[in-house]
Amino acid sequence: MVTIDLAATAVREANELIRRHGADGTDVELVNPDARHHLGVGLVHPIDVRIRGSAGYFCAGLTDAARFEVDNNVGWGVGDNMYSGQVVVRGNAGAIPGVAIRGAEIVIHGNMGSRAGQVMKAGTLACAGNANFMAGYMMYGGRIVILGDSGEKVGEDMTGGHIFVGGRVQDLGSDAELVDLDDGDDDDLRAFLDRYELPFKGTFKKIVNAGKKLRYATSERQMRSIPFFTFSQDSEYWNPKIQEDIYIKSQIGRYRIRGYGGARPLPHLADLAFRRDLSHAGRDPDVVAKVALATEIGGLNGANALKLSMPVMIAPMSYGALSASTKRAIGLASTLAGIAENTGEGGMSDAQRGAASQLIFQMLGGRLGWNIHDMNRADGLEIYISQGAKPGLGGQLMAKKVTPELARIRGIPPGIDLRSPSRHPDILGGDDLLIKVEELREATGYRLPVSVKLGAGRVSDDVKIAVKDGFDFIELDGMQGSTGAGSAEVIDYVGVPTLPAIIEAIDALEEIERRQDIEIVLMGGIRDGIDAVKALCLGADAVAFGTSTIIAGGCIACMQCHIGQCVTGIATQDPEHEKRYQAEVESRNIHRFLEGARWQIAALTHALGYSDFRDLGRDDLVALTPEAAEITGLPHEPERRATLPELRVQVG
Amino acid sequence: MCGIAGIMYKNGSGTNPAGRALIDMLDGCQHRGPDSTGFALYGGERSGRLRLRFLVGEGEEADGAIARIQGALAKHGARVVDDERVGSNYRIQVSFDGDIQKLAYDVEHAAKVLSIGSSLEIVKDVGSAHEVDGQYGVGEFHGTHGLGHVRLATESAVKPEAAHPFWATGFADVAIVHNGQITNYWKMRRRLEQRGYEFTTDNDSELIAVYLADKMSQGIALKDALATSIDDLDGTFSFLVSTRDEIGYAKDRLAVKPMIMYETDDLVAVASEEVSLNRLFPGQALNTKEPPPGTYATWSRSI
Repeated sequence: MVTIDLAATAVREANELIRRHGADGTDVELVNPDARHHLGVGLVHPIDVRIRGSAGYFCAGLTDAARFEVDNNVGWGVGDNMYSGQVVVRGNAGAIPGVAIRGAEIVIHGNMGSRAGQVMKAGTLACAGNANFMAGYMMYGGRIVILGDSGEKVGEDMTGGHIFVGGRVQDLGSDAELVDLDDGDDDDLRAFLDRYELPFKGTFKKIVNAGKKLRYATSERQMRSIPFFTFSQDSEYWNPKIQEDIYIKSQIGRYRIRGYGGARPLPHLADLAFRRDLSHAGRDPDVVAKVALATEIGGLNGANALKLSMPVMIAPMSYGALSASTKRAIGLASTLAGIAENTGEGGMSDAQRGAASQLIFQMLGGRLGWNIHDMNRADGLEIYISQGAKPGLGGQLMAKKVTPELARIRGIPPGIDLRSPSRHPDILGGDDLLIKVEELREATGYRLPVSVKLGAGRVSDDVKIAVKDGFDFIELDGMQGSTGAGSAEVIDYVGVPTLPAIIEAIDALEEIERRQDIEIVLMGGIRDGIDAVKALCLGADAVAFGTSTIIAGGCIACMQCHIGQCVTGIATQDPEHEKRYQAEVESRNIHRFLEGARWQIAALTHALGYSDFRDLGRDDLVALTPEAAEITGLPHEPERRATLPELRVQVG
Repeated sequence: MCGIAGIMYKNGSGTNPAGRALIDMLDGCQHRGPDSTGFALYGGERSGRLRLRFLVGEGEEADGAIARIQGALAKHGARVVDDERVGSNYRIQVSFDGDIQKLAYDVEHAAKVLSIGSSLEIVKDVGSAHEVDGQYGVGEFHGTHGLGHVRLATESAVKPEAAHPFWATGFADVAIVHNGQITNYWKMRRRLEQRGYEFTTDNDSELIAVYLADKMSQGIALKDALATSIDDLDGTFSFLVSTRDEIGYAKDRLAVKPMIMYETDDLVAVASEEVSLNRLFPGQALNTKEPPPGTYATWSRSI
């Protein structure tokens, strides 16, 4: 055994030592821990770690196979996201012990704080004392054993798993119920308690999900196919779209869900034009070679930056919302174009990882598919706070798409109408977020850029928090962004458009003199290279394409992404539908679209008189509408409408 | 968006190293709030004396503010015992036995008041615990009890007057540090304004301070005021309050904001994270307690 003195060794250095000893198979003892955060995070070897005192937040977080013993207390989130292994805490645990675990055993000898086992998927969390408020909140599987009292609202919104209470059940959460023990439950529990030498003479009560909220009570009839162009017609009153909407709501008695993006006209990049006459743009056949387009994103704080051949990325879209074949096609196209792909919510498949040369791994509140092994093979980590299409809400994936394979990756029961949590268990403010960012950095040895995905809402406050919390870049997503499934009202009526979002973000960072400390990747309805250039002029460091890549790869914009029967094989998990999708062919189509965008960016930058896209600025733009002028502060020059360049030429 | 800390020594003596203890605790949780740091310190009380602390800035701006302050004090018959300028602060001690609320509102109109009390002094500025200590000598402060705060600014700007702790404007010796957000702020503020109270910021922490001070001015014990605050205030909060003789906490029912405490025969210390408590007792495994949601408690110094 090796001893590390934390009074003399910084946590970052200690964690590197622990991981190195893990690889050698040497056990570790930590002395003078004094409740420091992030002890042992990211360890993936089966060694013993003994902590002689109290540990702070996220002790043993993001680990697999190691055994931890803590002589005294732990702070918030002990064992965060553990895959296997064990943690024994001799004292008390703070809030959310065992958050998002996938199979470990966590034993608390004292009491444990609020929301124990939130979004856990498998494994056992046991507490010899009392639990606090909302134990088992939104758990998907596994077992919580509370030898003392349950606390209020035990099992609130649990989906799966079991909670056993030895003391008093103070108050059941919504959709939780008390049931009789199954044969074998008691023997299993006592064997577990014996193994951890926890004496218990009482009897257990068992709490499970009551099943009233797992699926919508009535499913939504598939609507008549209205082409998107009809669907988005200008009239807001009593048109066929409104009639259909009222009719369906009269049948289902709840809000409707649909896929794709918002259909209302909003101020957007199309309301801007270039100040100069660009009629000569694109005449030079060799223009791509004459403009510097390569850039790096994510390296400001010392992490290994993403290397982009142009200031473009793929927007986050999940395997789940999209079929495996579609994610493969997008990944291949991103590799061919030399840009970065993003997993979105729901985990990283081997196919995605293999297809994309640079892949950002996204973490959402439900921690679906989130784990240390995929973190270690990612090229960037991203904390999702919200998205432009439905700010403030979690993801939705209807039962048809929650196949056994998908449920396995995400660690949830198959066949539920999945409504992902809208909040993170351990991010309830900028202060908690900072500790979480540090956990991700510690677990991966500070190698990877850590970004934040923000749906435009309170943009000014949010970007200030992002820079103060030390993120490397922001993926800022406006209201014109699309989604695989969201409440129809939210998609059309909630959010802040992309245009004011980027203006507000840059202004806020300049106000606190921190613009140079963070990069911004703008997304949300960015359609092509022309939109991209306008975004870069407004101050974005790069842009991301989502919907446009899907369309390039065969999407017909029928808005039925959520149903799971996508005829093109894109937004489906049904093998019969998916087999229509030819990933190799579509990857070349998507790549061709990306190369077209590259040519547009180069041609416009060159025509504006620059040889580097970084020279683009707000002075290159004018506003075509009074609204766009008001939002951006650009001069209102509607006459410029006539001089828009015809750059829709695609490269061969 | 912040970290909070509080300490009370039970011996009631004014010789305890309260300033140094709070600096250590806040340094331990500075990661929770890198923008500004503040302290509410209690000690050195003398009967018939009032301590006032103002933010006056530098140079001519400060000269003007000090002249206005002295004018307002003279108008209320407060006699200056001693005064000094420290950093951008102006500290003054007066002998005064009139209506503190009236005096407070008048001097508030003359300059930015940080605190008024017989033993309270609030020191707060942008920067870390060590930077604020370097500027104002907080570490040399000895006293009976105190609160501390580190802030990550979100909605309001990074400036000294937006830092915590907040003084309960108009009420001597009441201070607060708060982690969270009060969502029925405007409703509660309008109620208190109708009763004649003035607010000097739009910060929800000032509201909690005035809310509690109002209750106490009606003869309600601090403990009972904390009990009603859990019902009356909406939102997420863990806060610490201090008066001349007591400190207390209240925590909302959703248990969203952290708080942990440690008590011995000699002292009680409360903080956002155990890492702060361990700064007072390095290398020791502490038998700490996490207060349950929807609870409150107070501790008094022996007098």
